Amino acid sequence: MEKKQKFPLSGMWHILSVVVIASLLLAACATPTTEAPKPSEAPKPTTAPTAAPAATSAPAATVAPAATAAPAATVAPTNPPPPKREAKGGIRKSASGFKGTLNLWVLGYTPGNQFANPFDNAVAQFMLDNPDIKVEITGYPPNDEGFTKLNTALQSGQGIDLLRLPSDRLPGMVRDDLIEPIDAYLTADDKADIFPNVLDVTRLKDGKAYAWPLWVVPMGMYLNKDVFAEAKVDMPSKTWTYEQFVETAKKVTFKRANGEQVYGFAGFVDPGVVNTWALWMNEDVSVRPVTADRKFGFDNAATAAGMQRFADLALVHKVTPPDFGSMKDSDVKGGFTNKQIAMVVDATGFAPQLVAAKANFEIYPIPTYKGAKLTVGAVGLIAVAKVKDDVKRKAAMDLAKYLTSSEVQADVPPGSNVATGFYLAPGARKSVKVNPPLDQFLGVLPDMWITPLIVDWAPLTRLIHPEFQNVIFGKVKAADAMKKITPEANKLISNK
Amino acid sequence: MRRFFQKHGWSYLFILPSMTTFIVFVFIPVVWAFIISFQKYSLRSGGRWMDPFYANYETAFTQFGGIFITAIQNTIVYSFFTVTANIFLGLILSSLIQPLSHRLRTFFRAAYYLPAVTSALIIGMTWSFIYNAQWGFANYILRLLGLPLVRWISDPDIALASVTASAILTIPATAVVLYSAAMGSIPTEYYEAAELDGANGIQKWWHITVPLIKSTTLYLVVLYSIASFEVFERIYIMVPSGVGNSTQTIVTQIYNNGFKDLNFGVGAAQAFVLFVMIATVAVFQFRFLQSDVEY
Repeated sequence: MEKKQKFPLSGMWHILSVVVIASLLLAACATPTTEAPKPSEAPKPTTAPTAAPAATSAPAATVAPAATAAPAATVAPTNPPPPKREAKGGIRKSASGFKGTLNLWVLGYTPGNQFANPFDNAVAQFMLDNPDIKVEITGYPPNDEGFTKLNTALQSGQGIDLLRLPSDRLPGMVRDDLIEPIDAYLTADDKADIFPNVLDVTRLKDGKAYAWPLWVVPMGMYLNKDVFAEAKVDMPSKTWTYEQFVETAKKVTFKRANGEQVYGFAGFVDPGVVNTWALWMNEDVSVRPVTADRKFGFDNAATAAGMQRFADLALVHKVTPPDFGSMKDSDVKGGFTNKQIAMVVDATGFAPQLVAAKANFEIYPIPTYKGAKLTVGAVGLIAVAKVKDDVKRKAAMDLAKYLTSSEVQADVPPGSNVATGFYLAPGARKSVKVNPPLDQFLGVLPDMWITPLIVDWAPLTRLIHPEFQNVIFGKVKAADAMKKITPEANKLISNK
Repeated sequence: MRRFFQKHGWSYLFILPSMTTFIVFVFIPVVWAFIISFQKYSLRSGGRWMDPFYANYETAFTQFGGIFITAIQNTIVYSFFTVTANIFLGLILSSLIQPLSHRLRTFFRAAYYLPAVTSALIIGMTWSFIYNAQWGFANYILRLLGLPLVRWISDPDIALASVTASAILTIPATAVVLYSAAMGSIPTEYYEAAELDGANGIQKWWHITVPLIKSTTLYLVVLYSIASFEVFERIYIMVPSGVGNSTQTIVTQIYNNGFKDLNFGVGAAQAFVLFVMIATVAVFQFRFLQSDVEY
């Protein structure tokens, strides 16, 4: 005889089960305190590798300061509201006659963060002067995933008219014929105002300039003064050597009374950035990824020595967090802001975020090694995507010109809802003045190395990155790691 | 013909929307991807046939020092452990809840199904937090026990194992629900007969329950194998900057080629290698696991 099935829950039990399940769902869906993952949000405040080909005294091209994502548990910025605006004319007014929408993609932009506010303000001013033009901003994070998103949008030709990007990404885009040259739109005043070697960074195919230089972004060392005070360690000299840096890092690596570990140093290591490279490239002038004769330059003893010296921060001196080498950018920045890391190497874009968070910090140059001064960086650019419509292209060029001018600095001053004003790094024009604390980066500009302009820079960094990580993790010697990738690296460098 | 449509017309009309969706969004893209795997393809300028025609496949296996081989190895290891553990865990959990009352069984089925309805993004982020070497929950427990910290997702030697463990410890919701349903359909007479013959609980479970749910096991093995071979979001979220190359999988390589380098031809070639691997595994599984069990 078959057993009779009991019928489903009675009403009361049913309701109770639904309530319990709903509670469990809510608990399960609580987001962790770590940064949102890369793909769609969390603008990372790192700057892309810096550009600027010529090692002249003019500011080197560096990566545009990355918009940093707000680290976990930072103090909410309390910025005053933006200034009241009115149309001002001049270069703000586009003579194109365009009516419609321009799509602007901005590196590191997330609505409301310190990196977004400058552009929101600038775009608001532009739209006031051009009531028929609407500008929509899309953000993309300054890491490998963000550049993937950008490339895909450019390749599809949809929804992107102009973009803020770091200079080392430009060659690949120019090769794929995705970017408009700007020569026809450069006036004599522009040529006189923009630093010549910075403009040269954008000269690629046929010697044409392919982007408007915006700013020059070097890396610097950020020191958390509160951590130094807590550790009772004096701030080092700004002419510090690498050895002094290591000793300092050791002194500010300590355990608090509550058991919380504080680390002396961290930096973001990712295929999309070269933040930490200056700390080992200063080993010797031969330590450069591409030699003068277009060969892979890291396959030499000096690179091995420098890279190993850097890895020893984690392996020997133990001044870095346990996840160093694979930390998320938000964890690096969050650790610094939350006084768990005393020193971080980062680009200029971190400074406004720290100012907004009222962090007590100071910016130092990268420590010298055997007298060698070096920082890495790139040029932040604003490029115009290939646009078939001549009128729209002119409008995009007008917006790009405005966004890279001294007028935009006047329109978005510090003290509004932007901690350091529009420019988050030293400007590419002589007429652009640098506001504190970014003026602390001016001294390092003459020593800035800019990532080379090769079309396959992104695959090259992706080739170098896992080996660099393995060196930091202590799994492989630097010499062996770089030797292993030399044939493939040479292939990538020789691609045109 | 007229009679055919009179007899079957409405049937075909009803399946037309799903068939159209399948053809447009599955069949055509798969065929197109196969074609692209023999081309150098650009979104703006279309495709050019490679010379030799297999060049993309060659590049797929040789680029970046043969990273694709590493990715295949990692994927096989990940799949083996997650499939085995998920099947075993699903079987154990559903066996444990089966003797409970109907209400409790329903409650536990719903509770164990929660991971299936939770976003993979949330699960990945949560595990990132758990595994954080500095302030993660896992190392917090180790600290309490006086044990040394572990670099769960920053040590190349154990990063893949950590990711695999996170997949295993995320309850296999589908397995629990399907096994539970399958066990519920086993006639109770078999268990009564076994009891009369003096079988204990374990013997009944092993000789009656497990064989009679073999078809469910086959289905789950195939399902989980396909899902594990396609692992991507967990790795992408937990170790976005990678850990050396120790967490590279087939799909991360496809993603890198297809979307980072916009090398669609090589990405498509790798995707077809994945397709062949999954199809081979599925055929083997059907061959060796499929059998009818009757009592």
